[in-house]
Amino acid sequence: MSVDRSVARQGVIDALPLVVPAIPFGLVIGLAITTSGMNQLVGWSSSWLIFGGAAQLTVITLLGSGVAVAAAVSTALVVNARHLMYSAALAPTFQSQPRWFRWLGPYVLIDQVFALTSVRPEEEPVRFRTYYLAAGATFWTIWQAVVALGLLIGPVVPEEWNLEFAIPILFIGLLVIGIDQWPKVVAAAVGAGITYLAADLPSRTGLLVGAAVGILAGTIAERFRHG
Amino acid sequence: MVDLAAIAVVGLGTYIFRALFIIALARKRIPEPVLVALQFVAPAVMAALIVALLTDSEGNVAIGVPEVAAFLVGGAVAYRTKNHVWTLFAGMAVYWLVRALV
Repeated sequence: MSVDRSVARQGVIDALPLVVPAIPFGLVIGLAITTSGMNQLVGWSSSWLIFGGAAQLTVITLLGSGVAVAAAVSTALVVNARHLMYSAALAPTFQSQPRWFRWLGPYVLIDQVFALTSVRPEEEPVRFRTYYLAAGATFWTIWQAVVALGLLIGPVVPEEWNLEFAIPILFIGLLVIGIDQWPKVVAAAVGAGITYLAADLPSRTGLLVGAAVGILAGTIAERFRHG
Repeated sequence: MVDLAAIAVVGLGTYIFRALFIIALARKRIPEPVLVALQFVAPAVMAALIVALLTDSEGNVAIGVPEVAAFLVGGAVAYRTKNHVWTLFAGMAVYWLVRALV
């Protein structure tokens, strides 16, 4: 039992430094909910219904900006498609886990939980599960609180600060931080260019067209890289 | 109601992405072309989102000097530090500063 407790404590301790960058992110999502004009409780519930910052920010800002609902939902889903890779990478480790954990574990499989747990595939199953749940619960709890805090802060800050400009800044950060090879620059440039050219498509669906063509362009550039 | 339904659908889809291989396809692998395409999802979508947020439905870009300055500095800081916190602080600081000056 004491081993379990020390493993759980390690999960929490390892999670904390990764939580810090998520705090302003969560605050910005709270702001985005306020700016979008949607019901605040509905907006906040995205924190536990989706539990993924980039997709939450995407669907909330798009719903608030007059994009067709289907386009907003599809874009947010495309943003989260990367989780398929995490699921595939952790599947072998999860085979030695009980059924309840195979169903519960994926719910908290965010980028940070993947980063912490994918490096421990050889861990004894109970220790792995304890560590995973401790880290996941830490992120989950802090995330719910931080997004709620963002909702409270938004209306207090003077309007002329234009704090909602933090939303596109955060998207720029997400874009640039993810770029580690030139085909990704191609994907981004083509995605941006096509979205701009397709801006007059009905219900702002040009966004989806731009994203799709950008992904295709990146894939083609990748082929050249390995030429 | 529409907002809640939209968020719930995104939540369900996200859970399926996270659970699919763990629950159902443990012995399956993702085909190589799909893996390659998945790498480019984030840059393509983020870039498209930024453009969509900054243009109106007629394709007019609605930003001025403070915004452009903030994007350039924010982007540079993101590239150097790989850190959202610094990116946000630097971007907002430059935005406020330039806005006060011009």
